[in-house]
Amino acid sequence: MNFRTQSLLWTAQRASAAVLGLCVVVHLATMIYAVRGGLTAAEILARTQGSAAWFAFYSIFVLAIVVHVPIGLRAVLGEWLGWRSPSRDAVLVLLAAVIGWMGMRAILGVFS
Amino acid sequence: MRNFALVHRLSGIALALFLPLHFWALGQALQGEARLESFLRWTDQPLVKASEWAIVLLLAIHLTGGVRILMIEFLPWRDWQKTLAAVVAATALAIGLLFALSSVAHAQGWPQKSVRFIVPFPPGGATDISARMVGQKLTEIWGQTVVIENRGGAGGGVGAAEAARAAPDGYTLFFPSGSVMTANQHIYAKMSYDPEKDFVPVTNVVSGPQVLVVAANAPYKSVQELIDAARAQPGRLTFGHAGIGSQTHLAAENFVNAAGVNAVQVPYKGEGPSLVGLVGGDTTFAVTNVAAAIGYIGSGRLRALGVTSKTEFAQLPGVPAIAKTLPGFENTGWFGIVAPTGTSKDIIQKVYLDTKKALESTEMRARLYVQGLAPVGNTPEEMGAAMKAETALWARVVRERKIKVE
Repeated sequence: MNFRTQSLLWTAQRASAAVLGLCVVVHLATMIYAVRGGLTAAEILARTQGSAAWFAFYSIFVLAIVVHVPIGLRAVLGEWLGWRSPSRDAVLVLLAAVIGWMGMRAILGVFS
Repeated sequence: MRNFALVHRLSGIALALFLPLHFWALGQALQGEARLESFLRWTDQPLVKASEWAIVLLLAIHLTGGVRILMIEFLPWRDWQKTLAAVVAATALAIGLLFALSSVAHAQGWPQKSVRFIVPFPPGGATDISARMVGQKLTEIWGQTVVIENRGGAGGGVGAAEAARAAPDGYTLFFPSGSVMTANQHIYAKMSYDPEKDFVPVTNVVSGPQVLVVAANAPYKSVQELIDAARAQPGRLTFGHAGIGSQTHLAAENFVNAAGVNAVQVPYKGEGPSLVGLVGGDTTFAVTNVAAAIGYIGSGRLRALGVTSKTEFAQLPGVPAIAKTLPGFENTGWFGIVAPTGTSKDIIQKVYLDTKKALESTEMRARLYVQGLAPVGNTPEEMGAAMKAETALWARVVRERKIKVE
């Protein structure tokens, strides 16, 4: 893997970490507001259904996870297990697709 | 530094395993039409609760390491300053997350101990029977005992007052008959509870018609014969009921009024005692809930003359509708769950959904059928609207019939 790709992955890892940090804070604030405000699950779902803003936010959340997790695991697999062949990247792309699919499925369940 | 990186990696691996499982389970729970119910059941699973806590802790650990790594790479701080800043940031986040999840866990974790249903009548009446049947099923669902506490007196007012004063923590719920919530306020000049301000609706559990009964050795064989006897001896016939303003009182008043006769009411502390009095010959008749009377009718101690449903009632074959003698006559009783005002909306929602689930079981439906009761299980909003409409109805009826207790 060339330096440029390494650099791109490094940047993507840090950038997605920053996005995730922000998303966790927003998600946390939402949970506190919803639960402390006495909203029931039915009321929460009523508010999230059809809301483009929340759909966009949680899509970004899932996208950040999809980027962050495989890159992190890539380093772990390479350094700890010595697995550096192209098959590693293929498996990680597959993992990213599965996480993305499951995440979006959950989001669609909440918002549609 | 190496320890931080190691912990960061290990927590990252664990999160990479947990998150897809979490997404998958959430996605599964939110599929289909009954998704809200399945979502609530999902969040109530011990494994889900445990995984949520695990994710929170792992996130806090992972972010601590992550923040420190970012600071090492981007900020020219000294090592101990970076460590301190990372620990402070992660601690603040962990406290926030734990605070939020503890709120969720508070509602999800209910009930952690036994729940008491205050029934405002003595044992043996339809309210008590309904509460015990649904209470038994909810005990199975919640894994916590539902304790039935009978507090009879003042047409349900004694039990209502005690329930109204209970802490709104979900561990005391009130199981009244309809009249306690919709009629008493029009009958009693002084009340130690306010049905509208002290309680919030949860769900109407069951409803059913009443039955006009006399003692087995009474001379009356039909509704018409009883009416004729009451006409022939104005003010001599008596009817027992569960207390002033109770459903059985109002049902009997409704019958007497529709028949255009004069009979004297005899209040008891509950439906059960009123039927004991009727069997013993202390009163002439009663218009009582089928659930309370069906055992007496089956054993031949009471004779059923007519039912208050529009047509003949399947559980009492051969007993005609009173409407055949008095066209248009109809009366229905109901029994439900309300909670002290201030009870968490999540708990109310859970009680409603679990009661609905209990009522959906074939075994429960069969037992209710035998008792002459029909399952309802409506939403808190629907129950509130129905109570409002019934309150207005009883206000008019009580005013017209001049039923009053000073």
